[in-house]
Amino acid sequence: MSTFSVRRVLAVVWKDLLDLKKNRGMLWSMLALPMVVVIMPIGVVTAYVQRPDDVSLAVMAQYYEPTVKAAQAARYLVDKVLADWFVIYLVMPVFVPILISSHAVAGEKEKRTLEPLLASPITPLELVVGKSLASLIPAVSVCLLAFAVLCVGVDVAAWPLAQELVLPNGMWAFGVLVIAPLFAFFGNGIAVLISARVGDSRLAQQLSGLFVLPLVGLAAGQFGGWLKAGTTYYALIGALVLVLDVAILVAARRLFDRERLMSRWG
Amino acid sequence: MNGLVVEGLAKRFGERAAVSGLSFEVKQGEVFGLLGPNGAGKTTTVRMLTGLLNPSEGKANVCGVELPLNGDGTALRKRVGLLTEQPGLYDRLTAHENLRFFIRLHELDEARAWARARRYLERFGLAGREEEPVGGFSKGMRQKLAIVRTLVHEPDVIFLDEPTSGLDPQSARTVRDAVAELAAEGRTLVLCSHNLAEVERLCTRVAVIKNTLRTVASLTELRREGLALDVQVEGEASRFAPALAALPQAPGSQVEGSRLKVLLSAEAQAPEVVAVLVAAGARIHSVTRAARPLEEAYLELVREEDAP
Repeated sequence: MSTFSVRRVLAVVWKDLLDLKKNRGMLWSMLALPMVVVIMPIGVVTAYVQRPDDVSLAVMAQYYEPTVKAAQAARYLVDKVLADWFVIYLVMPVFVPILISSHAVAGEKEKRTLEPLLASPITPLELVVGKSLASLIPAVSVCLLAFAVLCVGVDVAAWPLAQELVLPNGMWAFGVLVIAPLFAFFGNGIAVLISARVGDSRLAQQLSGLFVLPLVGLAAGQFGGWLKAGTTYYALIGALVLVLDVAILVAARRLFDRERLMSRWG
Repeated sequence: MNGLVVEGLAKRFGERAAVSGLSFEVKQGEVFGLLGPNGAGKTTTVRMLTGLLNPSEGKANVCGVELPLNGDGTALRKRVGLLTEQPGLYDRLTAHENLRFFIRLHELDEARAWARARRYLERFGLAGREEEPVGGFSKGMRQKLAIVRTLVHEPDVIFLDEPTSGLDPQSARTVRDAVAELAAEGRTLVLCSHNLAEVERLCTRVAVIKNTLRTVASLTELRREGLALDVQVEGEASRFAPALAALPQAPGSQVEGSRLKVLLSAEAQAPEVVAVLVAAGARIHSVTRAARPLEEAYLELVREEDAP
């Protein structure tokens, strides 16, 4: 008879978060990407707002949307860069859980802590849930914090031009609250599955990191003008990731078997 | 029942048989040794008995829980303790945090379990170091902390893989004393070790395995399996070794000056050995029966050609 203990799950969450808190190198790695994701669009918006009458802005805006008038080019570009930037923002909820989970799951093998852990009453399902929560909680928190800082920074930078709050808007709110957690789940799931197979945290990180590439491809398509970002576009991507998340759940359930883990890692 | 019974246990990984045909019984309160060379299947056996691996064949009963497991094995793992070969501690966490994690995994009352853990920490000389990160601990301190972690949930059956590895003589003695006390409390202990001296000090019986079960015996029985004769001759004993080697089913012999230690495969060989030595011109001062060193018995049992 299988049992599921929330106390044991919380024990894993507590231990992994405590370990993360004491791992300064990991904390800096976790914070580096959000800093870039937040600072870059604020810088771009500031540049547009400082010289709204620059003719090159009109040329750029009309490259993407020929009907845009020169006087509205700066505002159009502000809105466009924010819509396009969301795909880069999505790298964060994928990448941060990859960093944490690769370390937390494959790290158990490297540190030889897996056997004592599996010899305790914890079930493989509790272990996966605990490890995933310990990865998702900081990842989603970092994403929310980064979004809050981004909103403040962009609104301050855009105020002279927009005279209104440009962020949060509907697309970003939907993206941050619905799509980003789906991506975080995806990043965590991929890292957990790969870690369970390779058992080396660096290799797990490198292999899991490859799953960020499709987002970079989408960003290239958007900045090149071939893809048009918007709520529907991101909702479609979110739906695809939701399907992948379900597939990951099924695979994780199969892979996280005590015997399989012991045979592979022991 | 708080001991364990193993019947025909086997484990295969694909086509490779890691271990097969294991049958033995360990009584409650007994300290039982599991001996065997590297790769003999000791760790696989312990992993099966702690529910980490499913047996391919056979069954076992560990403190009342039947193997193969019917369910997730939580009930079994709450009642067994496993000290793994590597301490397996979280370096960034303190000793207290490491133990607290396992106290929580076992869903114990934290205050009571911690009070118990502190008694063990004190016993093993780790009192006052609880709030230090384990990464700064010496190998011996890590090993002792891992032992405390193994005991923190008061298991009925305890599996110890090389428990005194890396410990200084004083700490090793503390661990040995603790093992004896745990057995006196009625806990069953299974000790995996290559350290025969330690096994001799702690265990009452042993199982010698090398992928298959070679023997289960008390240490006294094991030493007796094949009698040894201690023969004192006049002059250099090595002169008579060739005469012994010519005997059918030649007994093994060791020479130390004028002493000849002859390892017999059967008691009936003794008169023949003496007769051969006399025929070879030996002037015999004394012949005494000697217990065979455990090491001899062990090495003979795990020798490849002796496989049953």
